[in-house]
Amino acid sequence: MSGGPDPSSADAGDQPPPEAAPIALLETLWNDEKTWKKLAPRYGVIEPDPPWKISLFATCECLSAEAVLPSLERRHAEDRLGETVYNGVSGPGPEQQLVALAHQMLRRGLLTEAELAVRMKAVRSRLEET
Amino acid sequence: MVEEITDFEVLEIAVRELAIEKGLFTADDHRRFTEWAEQIGPAAGSRLVAKAWTDPAFKARVLSDPVAACREIGIDWTEPTGSGTPSDYMHLRVLEDTPTVHHVIVCTLCSCYPRPLLGHSPYWYRSPNYRRRLIRWPRQVLTEFGLNLPPEVEVRVEDSNQKCRFMVLPMRPEGTDNWTEAQLAEIVTRDCMIGVALPKAGRTADDVRPVSRARRPVPHDAAPDAVP
Repeated sequence: MSGGPDPSSADAGDQPPPEAAPIALLETLWNDEKTWKKLAPRYGVIEPDPPWKISLFATCECLSAEAVLPSLERRHAEDRLGETVYNGVSGPGPEQQLVALAHQMLRRGLLTEAELAVRMKAVRSRLEET
Repeated sequence: MVEEITDFEVLEIAVRELAIEKGLFTADDHRRFTEWAEQIGPAAGSRLVAKAWTDPAFKARVLSDPVAACREIGIDWTEPTGSGTPSDYMHLRVLEDTPTVHHVIVCTLCSCYPRPLLGHSPYWYRSPNYRRRLIRWPRQVLTEFGLNLPPEVEVRVEDSNQKCRFMVLPMRPEGTDNWTEAQLAEIVTRDCMIGVALPKAGRTADDVRPVSRARRPVPHDAAPDAVP
């Protein structure tokens, strides 16, 4: 199906809502080649989901339970972001869910980009310690 | 094992740690949800269906009070908080297939799913592509899953919402006479209880399903007449 203007598109002059504005830190790490779907087969791993998926689920449920980020709002934003900012080749998956969650937490001021960057660096150092 | 630390893995940990440090939730709460989430899976639903196939009285209870029937097989919808999870409301309806009616479930709103019985939803179920297209073209979408239903079988799509969960009770297939519950449970796969596949003797696993992106994304708040 093609041809004709897309009725869902905004006018050229319209700006995306602030919620949907890209976030540099997350754009940098959004690498489709590093998604579980691409990575697992390279290592001969057959589990369909990354090991951190359950923990991500628990984080989402905790945020909803405390009414910090209700599930429905989170899922709607995930849909929107997944079709715009994080529209990777792999499509919907745990990485899109995770990055959309971080995006929303940053946009809502629950986290700052700077502190997240610092913490990510610290976490990586910890994980890479031998 | 994946011998590589990805930024995604790092991000998940960093977000969680910061959220706990900021008091958005506690480490104990996170552990409780994690432990619950690690033990759920479609095997519970498979057992429910297999028992319903072999025990008419149990089947009647499954249809009349499914949450209570779940307790009979050890599934407690109130876990892990005493009132379920924020995403799993405790009103369940089990949809019984007949020779003339086939059910299939979806959540057009988000990705509501009967997790205590079926575990975590597959990503294709969460995808806007499945959610938008199933309600418009159910037969065609089922065909894409390899399920071709004859025209005389009515297809009913049940749309989950924030208050109600659904699960499909498929028909017991031919060639399974005298099977034990355990044998029957093996052929009741996740996809059979969503309604995108039918149980069959010898079929014990779901095919890998593609997760398709939406081809013409539409904002949630778009006016109905703006939907292509």
